[in-house]
Amino acid sequence: MNYKPDEATLVAYHFGELEGEELKKVEAYLQEHPAERKRSEEWRQVRSVMAGLADKEVIAPPLIVGNNERPIWREHYFRMTLGIAASFLVLLVAARLLGLSASISNQELRISFGAPTALEQVLDKAGVTQMIQASLEENNASMQTAWDSRNQKLEASIQKNLAGNSSRINSLVKEASAGQQEQVRQFVGQMQTENLKLMRDYLQLSTTGQKEYLEGLLSDFSRYVQDQRKQDMQYFQANLVNMKENTDQFKKDTEEILTSLMASNRGSRTDNQKSY
Amino acid sequence: MMHAENLIARAREGDSLAQGKLMHAWYKRIYNYGFKFFYDHDMAMEVAQKTFIAMHRNIGGLQDTSRFRSWLYTIAVNFCREELRKKKSAASVSLEDQRPGTRNSMAWQESNHRGDNPERLLRQSELSDLLQGCLKQLSEEQREVVIMKEYEGLKFREIAEALSISENTVKSRMYYGLEALKRMLERKNITKEAIGYEL
Repeated sequence: MNYKPDEATLVAYHFGELEGEELKKVEAYLQEHPAERKRSEEWRQVRSVMAGLADKEVIAPPLIVGNNERPIWREHYFRMTLGIAASFLVLLVAARLLGLSASISNQELRISFGAPTALEQVLDKAGVTQMIQASLEENNASMQTAWDSRNQKLEASIQKNLAGNSSRINSLVKEASAGQQEQVRQFVGQMQTENLKLMRDYLQLSTTGQKEYLEGLLSDFSRYVQDQRKQDMQYFQANLVNMKENTDQFKKDTEEILTSLMASNRGSRTDNQKSY
Repeated sequence: MMHAENLIARAREGDSLAQGKLMHAWYKRIYNYGFKFFYDHDMAMEVAQKTFIAMHRNIGGLQDTSRFRSWLYTIAVNFCREELRKKKSAASVSLEDQRPGTRNSMAWQESNHRGDNPERLLRQSELSDLLQGCLKQLSEEQREVVIMKEYEGLKFREIAEALSISENTVKSRMYYGLEALKRMLERKNITKEAIGYEL
């Protein structure tokens, strides 16, 4: 059995405030759990001991109370009714002072201040249409007049603005033109001066440069000619040396050939003599 | 029961006589609740008087006459808490001062039953002191529940109504209150047999 009563259930059981299925379950639980039974018994002991704290005897003092009944004018409903009645009375007095009157006649409610006045002549449909037509025409005429007047004013204003603006633009253009001519003149003069200076500088620089360039060129050319002559001379010397060496070698080879020929001729002659 | 409900209904309608009867019927209970809560006669009287003045003023607003008891204890509990707050800010009275033979002892005021055995009265007074001391050692919340249940005989539902808490909370406080009292009595070696009084 997994049932385990909580603290509240145990206390309720102990004080006999448990009933039905819960009571049976707790009783069964206590049968199976002697420790819990012991706890319940201990509580019983505690309560028995605590019951020794007896009540104190005390005499109640007399209850002195005032008259609890309130006069009717202090009752809430009476005061509310009185308030509503007073408000209504104030309204009536105000209406009387202002001469407010209200009447209903011929399915018509009329509320007025002072004596009611008779209604003016009742208009019929044609009258109303005529009034509307007249009002419209009057309105149209009034609008047309206003329109024309506004147009004229606008035209005059535009003309005036145009005239004013034209003269202002002319004067501005003139001022700009005069200013520009003066500026162009100054600019051209300045340019001429600067060009003159530049040309002078250029020519001066050009003359000096050409001079230096020609000097350089001449010195380079003379150095080149000298180098070339030196190289040619070296080449020529080298060729001479080669030629000499070749000649010497040729001489040497020729001598060797002649020597060998002479030696061979001498040998053949000796052989011939021997054979003879 | 019908008579009591009728009395409450009349008191609710402003019947001074019915209110007086109600006060006489409940004064001892409220006084004893306050006395066990504070173990102080003056404070218990103060609480009881304030409770019945409040009852007189507010009983017209009581909706359900069957809840009069829990309603009355609600008032008493609130005044007890108020007095406790005041007391905490003032100097506390030692339990030792309340012992028989001391100047402030309650026993002087109570031992006026001629013909009672003085020794028995003394023993009873000593026991009351001991038990009251145990009650005072409980927390305020446990003490409220234990007194209402054990001495005032309220049902757990009524206690829950009076304290504006759930029934389970009341039962839980009772559980821990009983366990605390058990430990205190064991410590002081107080048993039913030891005190030897008749229940």
